[in-house]
Amino acid sequence: MITLTINEKEITLDKPVTVLEAAKLAGIKIPTLCYHEALKPYGGCRLCVVEVERMPRLQTSCTLMSADGMVVKTESEAISKARRGILEFLLINHPLDCPYCDKAGECELQDMVNKYGASAGRYKEEKRKVPESHKDQILARNMERCIVCTRCVRMCGDVQGASAISIIGRGNRSRMEPFSSAAFNCEYCGNCLTVCPVGAILSRLYIHSFRPWQLDKEVETVCSYCGVGCSFVAQVRDDSIKRVIPRFDLGLNKGLLCSRGRFGYEYISSPERLKTPLVRKHGKLEESTWSEALSVVAERLGHIKKTHGGSSIAGIASPRCCNEDNYVFQKFMRTVCGSNNIDSISRTGFAAAQKYFEDLLGQGITANMIDGLKNSDAILILGGDPTAINPVLGLSIREASGRGAKILVLGNAKGLERFKTLHIMPEVFKEADTLESLLIGIYNARGTRGEKPAIDHGIKSLAGKTGARTAVPEFDELMMTLLESKSASIVFGPDLVQRTDGHRSLFAVSGLTYLLEARLYLLSEKPNEQGVVDTGCVPDMLPGGRPLNVYDFRRKFEEAWKGPVPAEDGLTLFEIIENAGAGKIKAMYIMGENPVFNLPGGPYIKNKLQSLDLLVVQDLFLTETAEIADVVLPALGWSERTGTYTNLERRVQLQRKTVETLHGMEDWRIISEVSGRMGCKMSYTEVRDIMEEMAGVSPLYRDITYQEIGKGNCLWPYHGEPLRGEMKTVPAAADIEREHREDFYLSVEKPLFHSGTLSGKSPALMKIYPGPVLRVGASAAKKAGLKEGDKVQFFTQTGSREAVVSIEESIRDNRVYYSNNFKGSGALGLMTFTIDEVTKAPGLEGCEVKIKKL
Amino acid sequence: MFNETVLKEIDEIRVKYPDRKSALLPSLYIAQREFGWLSQEALLCVAKTLNLPETEVRGAASFYSMYRHKPAGRNLIQLCTNVSCMVLGAERLADFISRKYGVQPGGTSQDGRFSLVIMECIGACGTAPAMLVNTDFHDSLTEKRIEEILEKYK
Ligand code: SF4
Ligand code: SF4
Ligand code: SF4
Ligand code: FES
Ligand code: FES
Repeated sequence: MITLTINEKEITLDKPVTVLEAAKLAGIKIPTLCYHEALKPYGGCRLCVVEVERMPRLQTSCTLMSADGMVVKTESEAISKARRGILEFLLINHPLDCPYCDKAGECELQDMVNKYGASAGRYKEEKRKVPESHKDQILARNMERCIVCTRCVRMCGDVQGASAISIIGRGNRSRMEPFSSAAFNCEYCGNCLTVCPVGAILSRLYIHSFRPWQLDKEVETVCSYCGVGCSFVAQVRDDSIKRVIPRFDLGLNKGLLCSRGRFGYEYISSPERLKTPLVRKHGKLEESTWSEALSVVAERLGHIKKTHGGSSIAGIASPRCCNEDNYVFQKFMRTVCGSNNIDSISRTGFAAAQKYFEDLLGQGITANMIDGLKNSDAILILGGDPTAINPVLGLSIREASGRGAKILVLGNAKGLERFKTLHIMPEVFKEADTLESLLIGIYNARGTRGEKPAIDHGIKSLAGKTGARTAVPEFDELMMTLLESKSASIVFGPDLVQRTDGHRSLFAVSGLTYLLEARLYLLSEKPNEQGVVDTGCVPDMLPGGRPLNVYDFRRKFEEAWKGPVPAEDGLTLFEIIENAGAGKIKAMYIMGENPVFNLPGGPYIKNKLQSLDLLVVQDLFLTETAEIADVVLPALGWSERTGTYTNLERRVQLQRKTVETLHGMEDWRIISEVSGRMGCKMSYTEVRDIMEEMAGVSPLYRDITYQEIGKGNCLWPYHGEPLRGEMKTVPAAADIEREHREDFYLSVEKPLFHSGTLSGKSPALMKIYPGPVLRVGASAAKKAGLKEGDKVQFFTQTGSREAVVSIEESIRDNRVYYSNNFKGSGALGLMTFTIDEVTKAPGLEGCEVKIKKL
Repeated sequence: MFNETVLKEIDEIRVKYPDRKSALLPSLYIAQREFGWLSQEALLCVAKTLNLPETEVRGAASFYSMYRHKPAGRNLIQLCTNVSCMVLGAERLADFISRKYGVQPGGTSQDGRFSLVIMECIGACGTAPAMLVNTDFHDSLTEKRIEEILEKYK
């Protein structure tokens, strides 16, 4: 217990904090400039000085720890004089261009000078000149305004971990600068921008377009790009989002954002948005009216149902749509169309992996708080770079590394280069072998836990089968580190699911999670992958993860929905596609997804979809899939509608409507319109009604309300009941023999600056990362005689693309990376796939590439 | 990138400190010796060798004025013109060097052979005038002696 007196107020503290923080707790405000709650104390600006009895000179309260019996004064003649002096110094070189500066009105320096500063300075000499740099297209850095508080540098280095900027020079010439070209190592998180107290760092997205006091409204909402689900405040003027501001007291991201969330919001006002429904007439998509388009869909769906039966209809839901949309979608498919053929693109990673993990380890095994990663002492990272797929989650890994956690990386992960303790590079297609060897190693050292028969048995039989381990250097160290750890975490990305033997990796990871009692995190590329599963957009489960084939569950939903639910499990994503046309699927209803571009084997898939009797697509843009649809229905996007997303920790979060739109309808509303026209009226008038229904029927979202969600505490399992079923035996498929034939293997790049094809409609993200390049590892490139900037053509068995080579030090093997984010290019279209018999996820095949210099 | 010998040299410095950041300043000196000045490439090499952020390396380097932030000649002449040396004619010697070798104080000769820096006292007042050429120390300078000495630096 520490008791100190500040301004004659007695304050008692449980644990020692700085005098500044103690004062804050007591409601006493001390002016600061270099202090920031998210950063380590620095003691640079000296504005926070206070008088402390029995201490000589004034003390900086942001660095001074409180001690028992301290007597502090935060205002006095001497203190005011010191502050006035400091501010006068700060203004010596400041351009005083407030009338022209965007920060005016929310500038900490301006406010401070207004309150404590002198009315005029005494300095008469020339001010320092630093020419403004125009190198950066996103961040406007004006170093004449910089007061060298280093908040940006500490943010970029200590928190973001990018270390893209530093203070250059010394004395009155010092200023903040990036290393060389503006973009050197910059991750464009913009977090430096949030902490800069003055107008020295601004965003070019809104510079000179408004004054902070001219904003019409502020709306708290959630990012629409990935499964982390960062919160921020969207600031609106003239019905358009001017900027988004994360708040340090809001959401799980605590004031941090990544480039997509920060700068990617403009896609919503892209001129390419669909404006009217389109209906195919005489082979051509033509503009139509809502009533015509909806009737066409209803009529033709009804007709197909009547002639071929409900199971000839399939639906593809979307992890970019809200829970409410997906819930209504599956209800429509099940009760109105009479089909359980519902799946989503999450089948290619998240949903498939989660199902496997939950079957073995119990529902909710992946429901872990992102924040908890920071407290792990060892983090095993597999299947993708978390700092690119889920950037803000990646920051927790970087922070854990700072706290001494061992960062163990399997595979290429650029964003962890400076943070990893150990790096293991399994051979292409041998990832599962490596993981199995690791599992057996741990098992041999520690034995099983004997708590879950299926998994215990699985590990034992694996140990019997696989004798020798794959010889990877550093393997022993990896094993020892894991065995020594007390609070291990495993971060699992989608790449390892996308193997024809993906289930082997999944079993190994389940085994590791179980033996190490580790926390398991499942990366989620899209914002609502968890929601897609939770709302029942899977062929074998009803909302709440209840198995469809259990009569009791089904009956409950039939009663609630007042309609029959077919008893048989539906087809999974790729089974649906396989059966399209010639097979038994005649109609497909796709909500917010673009399978032709986003799934492997694009040309094959396009062919299949074209052979359908009816293809309906609901989307924001005329995607590759929409182009071949019979009916295209324009939907509303993020910020135009209200709804909930469930993030990868299973936190249900509210997205609030921020702007008005003239075109399009909410996804759920379109579906209920179609449903009504098919003779089954849905009674929702607003989105709240849907959540209410879900809270009544879904055992996982029980009693949830928007009000509660808005407070941010709707975390797994809420008031819900998880299901504690368990797999009896571990399913397996035949092993695959492979030969290595080529020098290079194509992999899909998951860039930090893009997310699906949506981000391509954001002008800012397109400036940061304008188009695809072929990323080749430094040593592989050397061997093949490739250099940075070389123009090449690369070939797989099914196609080829031209690209420019970019050499990437962090790629350690012969994988080459090409993105799947830009229209007209894309890595997935060059690949083929085979289905993992256990998970039904596609294994990416045909990735062997030849590279030819042009 | 640095060659093996240099990497070993930096390694030897690194093991002396518990934190690799502490090896930064001595490593910068080595880089300066290898590259002649702290070019971007030199900074990148140091960053890579010590596995430190490039910006941190540049920030530290730019803080110290005794690192060379501009290209320098193959040989660096640091001539003292402080009190004792000045009294004994150092300023004339500076003129002599400038004329004879075509190198202005703070500059580099056209052929890249010499850079000249005017120094404050280098602690050789007793045998002034004095100068450093690279790391070698020379005192009791006269024009003639300078000619002889510089002959050895190509
Ligand atoms: S945008 Fe992010 S990475 Fe770039 S300089 Fe700012 S804090 Fe650093
Ligand atoms: S740019 Fe802003 S945050 Fe960075 S040091 Fe200057 S004033 Fe501080
Ligand atoms: S981490 Fe994900 S949710 Fe957060 S800002 Fe980035 S894209 Fe958006
Ligand atoms: S806030 Fe304490 S020194 Fe800047
Ligand atoms: S004055 Fe020249 S060495 Fe001291």
